[in-house]
Amino acid sequence: MNMELSRRGFLKAAGAGVAATSLGAMGFGEAEAAIQAHVRGFKLASTTETRNTCTYCSVACGIIIYSKGDVRKGEKAEVVHIEGDADHPTNLGTLCPKGAALKDFVQAPTRLRQPMHRKPGSDRFEPISWDAALDRIARLMKDDRDANFVATNAAGVPVNRWATTGMLAASATTNETAWATFKVAKALGIVGFDNQARV
Amino acid sequence: MSGFHGLQPDPSMIGRLVKPAFVLLPDPGPFFRLRAERLAVLAEGSELGPYLRFLAGLASAQAALAEALPPAAPPPAEQLQRAREHHMPPLDRAALAAGPELPGLVARFLDGLEAVEMPPPAAAALAQLRGTSEDQLKEMLGNVAVDAIPPDSLPEHLFLAAAFQVQVARHAAVLDAAALQPIEVGVCPVCGGAPIASAVVGRPGAENARYAHCSGCGSQWNEVRIKCLACGSTKGVGYQEAATEGQAGEGQEGGATVKAETCDSCGNWVKIFYQNKNPAIEPLADDVASLGLNLLMRGTKYRCAGYNPFLIGY
Repeated sequence: MNMELSRRGFLKAAGAGVAATSLGAMGFGEAEAAIQAHVRGFKLASTTETRNTCTYCSVACGIIIYSKGDVRKGEKAEVVHIEGDADHPTNLGTLCPKGAALKDFVQAPTRLRQPMHRKPGSDRFEPISWDAALDRIARLMKDDRDANFVATNAAGVPVNRWATTGMLAASATTNETAWATFKVAKALGIVGFDNQARV
Repeated sequence: MSGFHGLQPDPSMIGRLVKPAFVLLPDPGPFFRLRAERLAVLAEGSELGPYLRFLAGLASAQAALAEALPPAAPPPAEQLQRAREHHMPPLDRAALAAGPELPGLVARFLDGLEAVEMPPPAAAALAQLRGTSEDQLKEMLGNVAVDAIPPDSLPEHLFLAAAFQVQVARHAAVLDAAALQPIEVGVCPVCGGAPIASAVVGRPGAENARYAHCSGCGSQWNEVRIKCLACGSTKGVGYQEAATEGQAGEGQEGGATVKAETCDSCGNWVKIFYQNKNPAIEPLADDVASLGLNLLMRGTKYRCAGYNPFLIGY
């Protein structure tokens, strides 16, 4: 694509014994040597810029995440800045105040990193394993559904109604995830089902 | 004075989403004047001071010449039409290099360099150029037009590259920016030139958009960010910046104002400036002034795909 991409490299190869840099050829060899000495105190550091989608709401604004360090090079990456993606058709680089504060959301010490459980009567959340959490949720749902499921309406027509449990789905999902979520909720008969489209 | 035209005030855009302009064409006089001023500023306190001051003199001469010359004639309508149909840049650099008015422009440019201080090798090249026959000049300008600078006569070609920049910028200035179309990633949609570097801009209406800067005509065109300007790949793009121990990513949000955008798909790198953090950055001037990054990048597996006639060989 870019026809000139190897030009500098070519000159370097062809220039053995010839003053083959712009500075050298023009007579600025001293300045060239000074800058060479100067850069010895420096080294290269990897940073990355990564496209992603804002997690907050269903508008799904494009964002660019700046990190220090590059995971692909076996380094640890740390998010240092997040901004709107100017090339993204949805937001053309703009972000709402919540989106603009994403970096603090990512790095918040109170950020939820694992399932937490607040036992009845307790005043604090405690970590719980995914298996234990899902088992407990399933148990409570089953008990509630068995107790309150409506199988027929007043006219005796069979229906699928479970009105004592509600479900609030999140917004930052794909169409496919939303479809599967709907199927799960409606197959169980959940009537109170909504989507938190704009948080 | 912005050095570019095509930006109009538009109060109705406040609070709305605006699509960034595709191309900004240079205003040759102010364009080279701003470059000269930036080079002079960068020369203060830089190890490269003597070279930057010399380039500032060169850019001043370019500005004086561009201001003195009348606006160029737009290309014939049929050439524009043909370029559009075949997805080609509207300016034909080879034809411009062979044009009848260029030798006169080169002579005026060389005359304008009388007052510029330069070391003996550069002065000798300048004297040599003044005595060059028209045929030789044509051949050298042909090399400049395709960015193929012979290593054995670098200094002569660099003076001609500066003169040619004025000529292409003059012809770019009179085009209709709205009629331009993208050619390829990393190819100037005005003259087909290679980019010096790209810059993330902060001007209203294009906040945080990226523009590539042409090494020939000086136009800047919008390119998607986090995309290799040499091969167009969006996979394996990373950034390298010069840092002292443990300092990477410190300071302003997102790190340094100049980085090397590297591509693992094609193994090339091109400089990227963050004008949104420092609006004073002028890509050609700052490319030379950040030569240290080129030197550091020489120790990596990546090759430089940016082209700057005043920074050949790195």
